[in-house]
Amino acid sequence: MGNLIKAEMRKIVTTKSWWALLIPAFFASLLFALGWGAFTNSLANVLDSEDTLTVTRTLGIETGELPMGLLAIGHGINVGLLFAVILGVLAVAGEYSKKTITTTFLTAPNRPMALGAKMITYSIWGALYGLAVSAAASLGIAFVVDGARMPSSGQWLAVIGTSLLAGVLATLFGVGVGALWKSVAGSVVTLSIYMLLIENVWVFISYGLWQENVAWMGGVLPNGTLNGIVGAIGAEAFGAAGVRIPGLQDEAVWGLQFSAGAPGAFSWWASALIFFGWTMVVFVGGWLVNQKRDIT
Amino acid sequence: MHDGSGRIAVQNLTKQFGTVPAVQNLSFAVEPGSVTGFLGPNGAGKTTTLRMLLGLVTPTSGAATINGRPYTQLGNPARVVGSVLENEGFHAKRTARNHLRVYAAAIGVPDQRVDEMLGLVGLASAADRPAGGYSLGMRQRLSLATALLGDPQVLVLDEPSNGLDPEGIAWLRGFLQSFAKQGRTVLVSSHLLSEVEQMIDQVVIVSAGMTRYYGPLEQLRASQQSRVLVQPADANALVTALREAGVGEVQPAHDGRVAVANANVQQIGDAAAKAGVAVYGMEEEKADLEQLFFQMTSPQYAGGPLPPQQPVPQQPVPQQPVPPQQQPPGPPQQPPGPPPGFQQGPQPGQPQNPYQAPGYQQPGQQGQQGWGGGQ
Repeated sequence: MGNLIKAEMRKIVTTKSWWALLIPAFFASLLFALGWGAFTNSLANVLDSEDTLTVTRTLGIETGELPMGLLAIGHGINVGLLFAVILGVLAVAGEYSKKTITTTFLTAPNRPMALGAKMITYSIWGALYGLAVSAAASLGIAFVVDGARMPSSGQWLAVIGTSLLAGVLATLFGVGVGALWKSVAGSVVTLSIYMLLIENVWVFISYGLWQENVAWMGGVLPNGTLNGIVGAIGAEAFGAAGVRIPGLQDEAVWGLQFSAGAPGAFSWWASALIFFGWTMVVFVGGWLVNQKRDIT
Repeated sequence: MHDGSGRIAVQNLTKQFGTVPAVQNLSFAVEPGSVTGFLGPNGAGKTTTLRMLLGLVTPTSGAATINGRPYTQLGNPARVVGSVLENEGFHAKRTARNHLRVYAAAIGVPDQRVDEMLGLVGLASAADRPAGGYSLGMRQRLSLATALLGDPQVLVLDEPSNGLDPEGIAWLRGFLQSFAKQGRTVLVSSHLLSEVEQMIDQVVIVSAGMTRYYGPLEQLRASQQSRVLVQPADANALVTALREAGVGEVQPAHDGRVAVANANVQQIGDAAAKAGVAVYGMEEEKADLEQLFFQMTSPQYAGGPLPPQQPVPQQPVPQQPVPPQQQPPGPPQQPPGPPPGFQQGPQPGQPQNPYQAPGYQQPGQQGQQGWGGGQ
């Protein structure tokens, strides 16, 4: 297995994909953190106004102390992780498209071992992507969010940690989809459209239609759970996920979660567990399909 | 673990792609120490058979083993079997050296082996160029280098001479023969007999997914007799003279000439001179293997029955050398229908083919098989 992991590592570093995807991932996270950071910072300025403070204090919330930077950092990371998913797609689907899968299977003791080596190797790369995008997003909020509204060092470490975890799972999710559906273009386009658009729109519309009855929707679907791993850290800081601040309206909770990029998220670990479930569904599916698939 | 014999065994192998039968009940064995040609026209099921042997395609039924084991049970298979497949993919942007380093790592051989293989196949100077810029011949060499990384005991090559220049083919021929002389096994597929004829000892001929012949190439060659076509002034006088002299066997020929098998030009000339028969010309008709190969494999592309009568050319007709022992008596023309499928079963009195397998095809079925056979 060590040999196969070494081979997979060499495959990745001898082509350009890893940095050709890492660079846009970094800048997407940076730009999104900048933009969303500027927005939440100005939102905080409004919330900090005397009138608002009077209202929120009666509700028992101290808005002035809210770490608005957390909302933006989560959003930035989540956008960048889409590129980790694409990197994962290339693991198997990329080999099918280049037809190198033939030699990969011929030089491995069996197909499960070839796929297992990919799983381990791409986990490491996923963690690297998670680290890179969390650094980019941190940099982004540092430019635009006021010092007092920056996350505490504990919160920041939690963000980095969950970002690593989300990076690993996001990449494995991509590996699974690419193994299941050996088309690179098909997988990448479908995943991008689904994760950027379809699921978000669906979660938003369903909430508009059925309100809190479907608040869980974003907390169980693939994109929502992936985003929730990091996003829930931000939402939890606002008492909108995990622990409940008494008196906070359900709709306000959902709105805050949405601002953190994790509408409906239960908690970071619940999101991670559920997304791990999705990853396993596609990975096991891809695994089984590849056992039988004829390489012609 | 595998038995280390270097033996390839294909037993009743069948593969159905949807409703298309790619390979039907194929059986043969390949022994170490020899180069075995795996021949058949394009679409005969060669590639599918090799891919089943290498565990890339799952057979519908039957089994293919190397060293007594299916490919996926060989442990570290690339140390046992090296394979050069058609359309073998290289990442267009990855250099040849990096390509080999990837698979050297997977097989677990030291990186130094990469440079050795690059030198062996003559790619050392192009090693740091991306494989996407390689010519077809260079890709074939890179495929071979990949196959040899694990220093395998068995080498399987699918149409390896595609894209190679004559020099490359000559080199490959020499390489494969020396590889086999070390007691290793080589199975090489081709759709052209002439391309591999000089490097193979054994031959498996398939057509339309079925075995038509397998055994030593020598046996196939020996079964082909040459004959002499004689243009005499008086054919009857010559036939009589040859009979009396006991020279050769006279066969009917359809253009006024006399065909004599098992005799050479000198013998015939002497007999004719002794009998006082003028001879205007003699032509040695050498039957070649390629013709035989076409006869065995042609049913695959037969669209239907041939027209009943073909114009009889007045020129010598070397394109249809009819195996002597199957020469139909009487009518001079070849009857329509399946070609006289020469070696569809062991003839009585011929040496028994040691590699005969149970799934061997018999002659009578030939006409109904293949794409054009109205299945």
